[in-house]
Order: sequence, then structure tokens, then C-alpha cells
Amino acid sequence: MLPLTAVLLGLLAFALAWPVPAVLARARWPRRDPVSALVLWQAIGLAGGLSMIGALLVHGLSPWGGSLPAAWWAWAQHWFTGELPQQPVRGDHWVAQTLAAVLALELLGVLVLSLVRTARTRARHRALLELIVDPVPGVDARVLESPVPAAFCIPGARPLLVLSSGMVAELAPAELAAVVAHERAHLGERHHLLLLPFVAWREALPVLPAADRTHDAVRDLVEMRADDVALRALADPAPRRTLARAIVAAAEGGAPRGALAVNGGVLTTRVTRLLDPPEPLPRWARPLAVGAAAALLLLPTALLLLPALV
Amino acid sequence: MESLGELERAVMDRLWAQGAALSAAELRDALADRGLALTTVHTVLSRLEGKGFVQHDDARPRRFAAVASREEHAAGLMHEVLGQAADRQAVLARFIGSATPGETEMLRALLADTP
Repeated sequence: MLPLTAVLLGLLAFALAWPVPAVLARARWPRRDPVSALVLWQAIGLAGGLSMIGALLVHGLSPWGGSLPAAWWAWAQHWFTGELPQQPVRGDHWVAQTLAAVLALELLGVLVLSLVRTARTRARHRALLELIVDPVPGVDARVLESPVPAAFCIPGARPLLVLSSGMVAELAPAELAAVVAHERAHLGERHHLLLLPFVAWREALPVLPAADRTHDAVRDLVEMRADDVALRALADPAPRRTLARAIVAAAEGGAPRGALAVNGGVLTTRVTRLLDPPEPLPRWARPLAVGAAAALLLLPTALLLLPALV
Repeated sequence: MESLGELERAVMDRLWAQGAALSAAELRDALADRGLALTTVHTVLSRLEGKGFVQHDDARPRRFAAVASREEHAAGLMHEVLGQAADRQAVLARFIGSATPGETEMLRALLADTP
């Protein structure tokens, strides 16, 4: 008999894998407060993984005991004692166990792999930049000789902020300051870590319908958040307009590429919300988002740890 | 005492300026103002070789040359950053992604419309 816990976890996993991310990715309120949305996205990513693996695990171990901790213990012991539980262990139990293990290992493996890979790429980029670009005294950004306007940063223990000479030539000093403030916001708030779980999801389960959209939604929110932080850091009479001008100027200078057309829309969103800022969410929205995120994480945890609902 | 990073940059600058292969002793002499020991030059060269910036030939003594020019490295890096695909999160924080063909006109119009 399928324990109710597994069914509930399965339903939660399904909801978090498709309808919930689809709705949140399409919602318009996140641009009014990217932080609330980012908190929710993190909870969705984590709770989704927990409930998906948990559902399989609970079903796979159900013959061994009434609650997951007890069942796990009995299951671990059976490898040494050879003792099988009173309830028959069917094929689908073994399949569920195996799937749970494969999924958990794959998610973790992809996470570790992408951590290692990006660390290596970053180290290479940093080594290259340190060689080909002379540090400019007084400026905490490096200028890379290239006509294409570009600005980017390499996160890590020793973060590096890079502007191309094309970017420096294209933008007015105030706009350049806005760009630097934006990049610095990414580095300061470690936005690359917020994106990591969704990179893992996308690579581990590319069949997941929402994986791509979720990743892109989080990436866009992170950009909006960096815009917001940059605005506060700028000593500019009209920081919103300056940052918007910088975005437009950088977009014009870069070669348009059809291949990346899907993520083009975020530039329009960013410029629109800079020039015509939407009403911020009410004061209670952020605590509500945090509460919802906590509930989202507690639900699968409770289902996993409490005695099974039979 | 100069950091290895600075020395690496000095050696690469020398190799790039030279445009030809140099032996370690020649490099030491070219950087005489820094008063480097030959072993230090070798250390720096092998580090640079490990990072793929320098290669040596089989002559005796071995002669070292830059793998690519400074401009080629810069262009390669820009290409990677702009192309991104696989390395999207490595250099996550590119200031803007690529605009779609019609988008830049739209952005400009947005900018013009709002005072």
C-alpha cells in the first residue's frame, strides 16, 4: 500500500516542478520587489528537490517502517542482517529506492560538477585578465582592450570587475559609474550563488518543463535586484535615468544576436521599471514571502520526518 | 619582493614586445633592472606554461614564446564572455545580455518618451 506521505510528497513535487514555477515566472509582481520573488524561488527549488527525492524514498522504504527515520534505519540494517521486513518488498519499492538514489546523486553531482567547472573557468579568466590587463590605480575595475562594449564581473574570493574599452568609450562617466555599481551589487550580494540551484536543476533534469523558464526568471530577477541596489549606491541626481541610459547605450553597441532572442525581453523590462517605477509592494509583502518560503521548506521536511500518515 | 603575478606580467610583456622566442637567460638579461635569478625566471616561465600562455621549443637552451598575442587573448576572452552559453554563470554578471534585433529601437523610444 502506498503510504499517504509519499502521495502528498509526490503531489508537492509535481506542483513545485510545474504549475507553481509557471505561475510565478509569469507573475508581474516580482518586478516590484525582486527580493521577495528570489526568496520564493530559492524555496521552490529546494523544496521541489526535497519532495521529489522524498516521495520516492518514502515509497521505496515503506515496507521497512512507519516513519522515514525508522524505515531507513531498518533498511540499512537489513544489508547486514539479511532480515527482510514483514511486509513484502515488491519490485516497485526497489525501483523507487533506486530512482531516489539516482536523482539525489545526479542533483548533487551536477551541482558539484558545475561548481568545479565554473571555478576552473573563473580561475582561467582571472589569470588571463591579470596578465593582459594592467590594473588602473584608483579604479577598482579592469579595462579590457576591445571595441565591443561589455561589462562583467568574475565572482569569487577575489572578485574582478571588468569593463571593455568599448564600454568606457561609449558611456558618459555617470553612466559608467552606474554600470560599475550594478556589477558591484552582483558581487556584493553573491548573486551567482542564487542562480546555482537552478543551473543544477536545468542540467540534471532538462526534461522538466519549467527548468529553463525558472532559471531565466531567476537570472532576470537578479539583474533587477542589482539595478535596485545600484540606484541606492549612486550619487547621481537622476540615477534611474542614468542607469537606463547606460543599459540602452550598452545594448546598442553590442551586436544583436538572434540566437539569444529569448532573453532579450528583460532589457525592456529593466528599462521600463527604471524609467517608470512600478508601485513597490506593500510593507507586509516581504515578510509574507519569507513566511511562505519557510512554510514551503517545512512542509516536505515535516512530511519526511514525522511518522507516516497511513 | 615582487609578487609572482607581477613577474608573470613582466615576463609576458617582454615576450609580447619581443615577438620572438627567448631563452630564460635572455629573459633574465632583458629584465636586468629587476635583478632576477635564473631559477626565478624558470619558475615564472613554467607557471606561465602551466596556464597555457607560453610554450617552449626543443632547442638547447629551450626558448620560450608567447602562445598568442595580447590582442588575441583579449579577443578570445571577449568572445567567450559574449558567447557565454556554457560559462554563463562563470561570468554571470554581464551588464546586459544581447538585445534582440528590434529591441534597441524600442529601448531608445522608451528613453525618449519619458522625460
